[in-house]
Amino acid sequence: MKLLTTTARGSAAVLTGALLMGSLAACGGGSSQAAPKADTSSLTLAIDSDSASFGFDPLRVSAAQRQFFEGLYDSLMTLQPDGSAGPGLAKEFSYNADNTVLTLTLKDDVTFTDGSKLDAALVKANLDRRSDPALSAYSAVAKGGAQEITFVDVVSPTQVALTFAKPQPGFEKNLTSTTGMIVGKNGVTDTASLSATPDGSGPYTLDPSTVKGNKYVLVKNDKSPDATKYAFKKVVFSVVLDPQARANALVSGQADVAMLTSSTVDFAKSKGVGVSQIGGTVNTMISFDKIGKTAPAFAQEKVRQAIQYAINRQALVDALHKGDIPAWNALPKDSAGFTKDLETKFAYSPEKAKSLLAEAGYPNGFEFTILAGAQTQTDLQAVQKDLAAVGITMNVKMAASTDEAFAAVATTPLGYAPLNWDNPVGVMYGAILNGFTNVQKATDDQLSAATGELAAAKDDAAVKAAATKLNTRLVESGWMIPLYEALTNQGYNTKKVAPVKFAGTNAYPLLSSYTPAS
Amino acid sequence: MEVTMALFITKRLLMALATVLVVAVLAFMLVHAMPGSPGAVSLGAGATQEAIDEVNQRLGWNDPLFAQFFTWLGSALQGDLGVSLIDGRSVSADLASRLPVTASLAAGATVLSAVLGIALGVTAAVRGGLLDQVIGGFVGLLVALPAFWVGVLFVYLFAVQSSVFPATGYVPFEVSPQDWAMSLALPVITLAVGGAAFIARQTRASMLEALQQEHIRTLRATATPTWKILYIHALRYASLPIVAGIALQFIGLFGGSVIAEQLFAMPGLGQAVQTSVSTHDAPAVQGVVVIATVVVVAVNLVLELATKFLDPKLRAS
Repeated sequence: MKLLTTTARGSAAVLTGALLMGSLAACGGGSSQAAPKADTSSLTLAIDSDSASFGFDPLRVSAAQRQFFEGLYDSLMTLQPDGSAGPGLAKEFSYNADNTVLTLTLKDDVTFTDGSKLDAALVKANLDRRSDPALSAYSAVAKGGAQEITFVDVVSPTQVALTFAKPQPGFEKNLTSTTGMIVGKNGVTDTASLSATPDGSGPYTLDPSTVKGNKYVLVKNDKSPDATKYAFKKVVFSVVLDPQARANALVSGQADVAMLTSSTVDFAKSKGVGVSQIGGTVNTMISFDKIGKTAPAFAQEKVRQAIQYAINRQALVDALHKGDIPAWNALPKDSAGFTKDLETKFAYSPEKAKSLLAEAGYPNGFEFTILAGAQTQTDLQAVQKDLAAVGITMNVKMAASTDEAFAAVATTPLGYAPLNWDNPVGVMYGAILNGFTNVQKATDDQLSAATGELAAAKDDAAVKAAATKLNTRLVESGWMIPLYEALTNQGYNTKKVAPVKFAGTNAYPLLSSYTPAS
Repeated sequence: MEVTMALFITKRLLMALATVLVVAVLAFMLVHAMPGSPGAVSLGAGATQEAIDEVNQRLGWNDPLFAQFFTWLGSALQGDLGVSLIDGRSVSADLASRLPVTASLAAGATVLSAVLGIALGVTAAVRGGLLDQVIGGFVGLLVALPAFWVGVLFVYLFAVQSSVFPATGYVPFEVSPQDWAMSLALPVITLAVGGAAFIARQTRASMLEALQQEHIRTLRATATPTWKILYIHALRYASLPIVAGIALQFIGLFGGSVIAEQLFAMPGLGQAVQTSVSTHDAPAVQGVVVIATVVVVAVNLVLELATKFLDPKLRAS
């Protein structure tokens, strides 16, 4: 694909030459004017949710809040700009031969805000909190979790060993998110204190000017050796729930960076702000019940496939999610496992859907109920119309309480949620195969095998092969019924901030990746 | 006379206290009627029943309802509204930090709508004719405009297009009085538009009635300056329903500030209600309900006292 037209390439060449000449002149002392100094005094990020609604315990939140907590806490491993796992509080790691023990070698110069120091005992004290059900970040490593840690042993003051219930190659990637964040001694001992006061060793500390639920002000932590990697002296996380208000805040200068929804991207661009985009979050219907316990029809793969054919994804996106991408793949477009084949194989075809339903013994369709929330109601109503056209009656019921919404995994056959596939193996083990979306304990040999292959894959080719197999089977089996891939949009003030970069396919840029515009 | 007034105030204070108590009981019962328990809410979906029971036990959720209510009431009377189930922070402290935001919004919008509304209403009543019709049409338009739409329009015009005011955020008065005023400007105007129209209609009707009174005609006959007749005598006569309208505006704006708080990302009580209801944070919901009731009851009390002061007949009774 040509990135530039001939004319544009010519102009670019002239521009490059001019810039080069300018640079050379500057190097030679030809310019008497000093370049304006970049403004690194503060950075305001307008975010779409209250990062600290559960207080300042990083283990109470999921990986989606990694960016905020990255300011206050260090992780055992860190997410690298290319999306891989690199050293963090653990400067080295190694697995035993069968990948059941991961040994971490820790840094010895880390101090927490309470004055305590990092050592193996503190890491053990942190990870031993995994029996606490309130700690979402530990749900996969707790007892019975897909990545269960059975023991944490202090090998030496700077070495700690994690023993898994079953082999966990590639586990280190999990330690780059909130799961790997380490809380200081006071915080671990008195966990209630974390509701109001963070206790981390991160590059920033919480400033008293913070207003809970509205703006969180972080200022540089002079005790952190890594603080120099962060460009801005002060970072303000401003909670702006309304998408249009976030765009307004960015355009009018109250925010330097804002998370934009696809519907506000064009408006923001028209006002001259920059927008960096990445896919990665697939809004998917998930078959909770693959054994027909709550709706017998769902026990049949042909029925789930009929639903794949019945949904007009392009119409859904055109009507409700302009700017996003219709999805036939369970995995996002930037994933190694993405394949165009699924787009044609499961292209919209009400006739095929009807024929599959007839083959499955439901020529007149069937009826089931799905629970909706405020965010999902309109999408589900669009799907409802498509399903009705092939004879399936999907009753959309608004969840009356959070409890009812959570219980839907056991009481209804189908759900709907955004899924981020930054760590496909983690998602498969943690949510799909053994996790909360499979309380009926359905099994699928091909899915288990593909997930195992992906976990064990050592090179790009092997990853691609395994991920493609996994993706294809997720769709063919109807365990996943993808609808559209939402783009994550980071709008930024081009005069203040350099173009925002994402770390691999992670939807939340590293806090360290924000740099001033030069 | 003074004894009568003292008795009146005492009776009204007792009524106000009784109202707050009844609402507190109702809020308490509603919170208990909500599905789920505090343990389930604070521990989340993955919690075991054992862990949930332990938290419920610690919070006294299994105690008799009377015991729970009086324990809560005892603490509330000392200014302690309990702790949030979600983050463990003091509800009182959280609401204390949010109250000034909502109060600033509601008070600012009430004052602005009163000034605009009275000016428009008096002008329409006094001038009559075409001007009355024009003002009537304008006021009708203002009443019909939804506050959210007005807010979006103002943000677009005065923040996005011209950067005159900030589009979002709230700056506390103690940090910078000037920035405080700037941050309140657009949300206050947004909320005041509908209120001004309501008060203008009320004022016009009351003024028309006042201008028909005999004592006003007498004043006109004695060559009293027109401004004195209109703004001292007639307006005072007409003020009872206007004051009642303004007080109702304040109460409505205090409860309805959630729209402005969401649109302008302001950390007020409306935002707190939204968050605490969506997370089933029972102590926080209960705290907001009680605080809002106290404000409404207090405003009503002030209204009654003001009415008594403004109406000589009531004052003498």
